Amino acid sequence: MKKLLVLLIAVVFGGQMYGQTYNTFEPSKTQFMIRGYGHTGFEYMDSGDETESTFLGLAYAPIFLYKHSDRLMFEAELEFVLEGNQLETGLEYADVMYVLNKNITARAGKFLLPFGTFMERLHPAWINRLPNAPLGYGHDGIAPSSGIGVELRGAFDLGGPTLNYSVYATNGPRLNDGSDEPEEAGILRFENYEDTNLAKAYGGRLGLLPFSDSSTEIGFSAYSTSDTGEQDSEYEDVGAFLFALDFSFVKQISGLGGVVDVKAQYNNSNVDTATYFEIVDGIEEEYSFDNQSNSFYGQLSYRPTMASSDFVKKLEFVGRYSDFNAPEGAEWEEKSVQYAFGLNYWLSWRSVVKLSYQTTETEGGHDGDGLTNTDGLFVHWAIGF
Amino acid sequence: MKTIYKTVIGVIVMTIVGITAVACSSTKKGYTDVPDTATAAAKEEFKIEKSGAQMWGETCNRCHIAPSPADYNDTDWETISLHMRVRANLTENESKKIEEFLKSAN
Ligand code: HEC
Repeated sequence: MKKLLVLLIAVVFGGQMYGQTYNTFEPSKTQFMIRGYGHTGFEYMDSGDETESTFLGLAYAPIFLYKHSDRLMFEAELEFVLEGNQLETGLEYADVMYVLNKNITARAGKFLLPFGTFMERLHPAWINRLPNAPLGYGHDGIAPSSGIGVELRGAFDLGGPTLNYSVYATNGPRLNDGSDEPEEAGILRFENYEDTNLAKAYGGRLGLLPFSDSSTEIGFSAYSTSDTGEQDSEYEDVGAFLFALDFSFVKQISGLGGVVDVKAQYNNSNVDTATYFEIVDGIEEEYSFDNQSNSFYGQLSYRPTMASSDFVKKLEFVGRYSDFNAPEGAEWEEKSVQYAFGLNYWLSWRSVVKLSYQTTETEGGHDGDGLTNTDGLFVHWAIGF
Repeated sequence: MKTIYKTVIGVIVMTIVGITAVACSSTKKGYTDVPDTATAAAKEEFKIEKSGAQMWGETCNRCHIAPSPADYNDTDWETISLHMRVRANLTENESKKIEEFLKSAN
């Protein structure tokens, strides 16, 4: 009898405990998601006298999304990459956002900057149609990719067309004044997580989607700061003004049997003229140059989504032109032009195998004064999850 | 040069603030008022006709290939919709309608 009672109690309480632990009927109000992406590949590069080929270690970028309510949310992205035999980690972004009203959302923290659209919207490996970024982006690029600060953004319904905006204040860039790396004197560094001066960078982007089918967007971005140098140094009040123009067109066109996707962005950077020093034959010499750089890319891709064959439907053809011009007279003076062609196969909406051939002509640059032609063959596989 | 770009920035900031002020001052009532003329009625009808499904097809393809409703459950769609609303700078109407569609079709 006693045994039966114990058994009964165990069943009743156990059942309740089980029910409370695994109660899946009520969704929780707060939500936490881990998403992200990874990519790997093989590259073969030939620059005339030098050839190299390598498999790439997998890059893995987990993304954490925490939604506290319909208005409050947190997002963060970590990045793990193998550089040599070292694991490099990075914090791509980590910011909180709060929807103030239907037209204004506030963000604070480290966020991707809406300077043009490439870095904020198109650079993740599972979104970018080619294995790498166009000229002008990345480590030696002229477009800022993220910033630490605050931002207001939002969109307006104009009864068909829509308008979107963002305005922000961030710590701003740091000028490489050449004291540590004379060959990089005059370059703006945007990875400036602790401000070196009191001036902040202010910027914003205005985007207009003129047609009610949202197929087309044109955008104008600006980014300005009065000081980029170290506080109390002679470079402190070297200011900078950057602007970008971007264009996007995506539409399924029945006459062409598929989706046509056009993307373009022009970046222009203008840093106030300053005097830098170089050592020539053991003697320190002053020099100065007009510190203006620009870059452009235009990309056209086509997916035959209306084809009858399941295989053909998943193909994509891409072509991209990009160029980059760094100031004449700088140690890093450069003129580069790149053509990239690609054939992609979409395994799913977030997983793609990319095959690409690229040819780049570089005049000058960090590696010397001559003309270099580099041909590259890339096979990449990106997956988002 | 410096004064030129400061002016440019000033103008942009003022335009944005101006637009924001105008948009925020229009009350919600203005949207829901029953239109009394034929043209207004037609306009209203046109607005209603644009479904969440159509908006999903047009909007979610702009940057990446659009996910299909079955890819995520309702709870996930809520998080993703808020994330995309902010990241892609979508209007409240677009993100609400698309979210409703995705949740109804998964
Ligand atoms: C303006 C560009 C843009 C538009 C428009 C856009 N997305 Fe995204 N989407 C992105 C970017 C960029 C990411 C990657 C976020 C990251 O990795 O930081 C992303 C990621 C995602 C993800 C992965 C999970 C996540 O939240 O990161 C889903 C799902 C998604 N988008 C769905 C949608 C849907 C549904 C729509 C239509 C309402 C949409 N997207 C419209 C740019 C866009």
